[in-house]
Amino acid sequence: MKIFLNISLAAALFVGGVYLYADDDEMEHARPAYSKPLSKQDQASAALYKKECGACHMAYQAGFLPKRSWDKTMKGLDNHFGTDATMDAADTKTIQNYLMTYASKNDRITDMKGAVALRISQTPHFVKEHREITQKMITQPEVKSIANCTACHTKAETGSYREREIHIPNYGRWE
Amino acid sequence: MKYLTILLIGSMSLMGASTEVVQYMNELSSVAKTENKSFAGFDAARGKEIFTSTHTGKQGKPISCTSCHTTNLSNYGKNSLTGKVIEPLSPKANPQRLTSVKEVTKWLKRNFVDVYAREGTAQEKGDVLTYIIKN
Ligand code: HEC
Ligand code: HEC
Ligand code: HEC
Repeated sequence: MKIFLNISLAAALFVGGVYLYADDDEMEHARPAYSKPLSKQDQASAALYKKECGACHMAYQAGFLPKRSWDKTMKGLDNHFGTDATMDAADTKTIQNYLMTYASKNDRITDMKGAVALRISQTPHFVKEHREITQKMITQPEVKSIANCTACHTKAETGSYREREIHIPNYGRWE
Repeated sequence: MKYLTILLIGSMSLMGASTEVVQYMNELSSVAKTENKSFAGFDAARGKEIFTSTHTGKQGKPISCTSCHTTNLSNYGKNSLTGKVIEPLSPKANPQRLTSVKEVTKWLKRNFVDVYAREGTAQEKGDVLTYIIKN
C-alpha cells in the first residue's frame, strides 16, 4: 500500500507523462514510457497547455507524438481537424515550446513510415493496442470518437492508461 | 477611489460581465457606429437570432451556436465535434463567463468561424454578447 501510494505520488509529479502498464499485475510493470519529469519553470507552460489544448477535448499527453507531429499541429491551428483552434501568438509559442520539450523520442510507437502523424489514434502503436475494439463501442454517443480517450480510460487525464482503469460505456470493464 | 471600486464591482454584477468586458463592448460599439451609419446600440433580439440560427459552417455542414451551447444558456452544453461537456455560457449561471477580454475575443473568433465560416462584425459580436448577458 505504501509503495503504491509513493508511486501514485510520483505519477502526480510527472504531469506531462504517460504511464503504461503492459500487463496489469501490480506496479513492478510500471514504466514511464513516454515521459520525463516536469521542470519547475515548465509548470506554468504545462498549465497553459492543459487549459488551451484541453478546452475542446482532453489535453493529450505530449509524449504520444514526436516533435514533427506537434510542430505541424501548432502551425495549422486555424484549420485543426475542421475547427478553428487559434490563440494569440505568445500562447501559441509557449505551447509550441512545451510540446517540443515533452514530445516522444520513441520512434517505435509513432513511426508512420515517413508521414507526419497528426492523430495519436492513427499511429501504429495506438492502432495495435486498440485492434480488439469494435466500431459499435466507438460510435455510440457516450464515446463518439476514438479520440475521446477519457470515455474509456477513466484516468487518462492524469496520464494513466492501466487496463484495470478501462471502462467502456455500455460494455463495462476490459478484462 | 474606494467608492469607485465598489461602484465598479456593483455594476459588474448588474451587467453580468466584468468591467474589462464592458469596456470591450464599448469599443465594439464605436467600431459598429463607423461601420453602420444607422447603428443605434446593441440589441439582444438580433443577438438571439445570431445565436440560434443555423448556418453552413467551416466544415460545410449545418451548425449553430446552440449546437454546442444549447438553447438554454444556464445549462451545460456539449461540444458537437468532440462530445466534451461545456460549462454554462450564461454569466448568471457561471460567474467565470465574460470576465476576460482575452477569452471572449479568442472564442468569438473561433466560434464565428466555425458557425459562419467568417469572423463576426463588431455589431454582431456586441449583439450576441448582449444576448448572452441577458440570458
Ligand atoms: C476549438 C476546439 C479545439 C481546441 C482548442 C483544440 N482542439 Fe485538438 N481537436 C479538436 C477537434 C474537433 C478534434 C477532432 C476530434 C475527433 O476526431 O474526435 C481534435 C483532435 C486533436 C488531436 C487528434 C486526436 C486523435 O488522436 O485522434 C490532437 C493530437 C489534438 N487535437 C491536439 C490539440 C492541441 C495540441 C491543441 C492545443 C494547441 C488542441 N488540440 C486544441 C478541437 C480542438
Ligand atoms: C472505446 C474505448 C477506448 C477509447 C476511446 C480509447 N481507448 Fe485506449 N484502450 C482501450 C482498451 C480496451 C485498451 C486495452 C486493449 C488491450 O489490452 O487489449 C486500450 C489500451 C490503451 C493503451 C495501452 C495501455 C497498456 O496497457 O499498455 C494506451 C496507451 C491507450 N489505450 C491510450 C489511449 C488514448 C491516448 C486514447 C485517446 C486518443 C484512447 N486510448 C482511446 C479502449 C479505448
Ligand atoms: C463546436 C462547438 C461550439 C460552437 C458551435 C460554439 N461554441 Fe462558443 N464555446 C465553445 C467552447 C468549447 C468554449 C469554451 C468553453 C470553456 O471555456 O469551458 C466556448 C466559449 C464561448 C464563449 C466564451 C465565454 C467566456 O467568457 O468564457 C463565448 C462568448 C461563446 N463561446 C460564444 C459562442 C457564439 C456566439 C457561438 C456562435 C457563433 C458559439 N459560441 C458557438 C464551443 C462552441
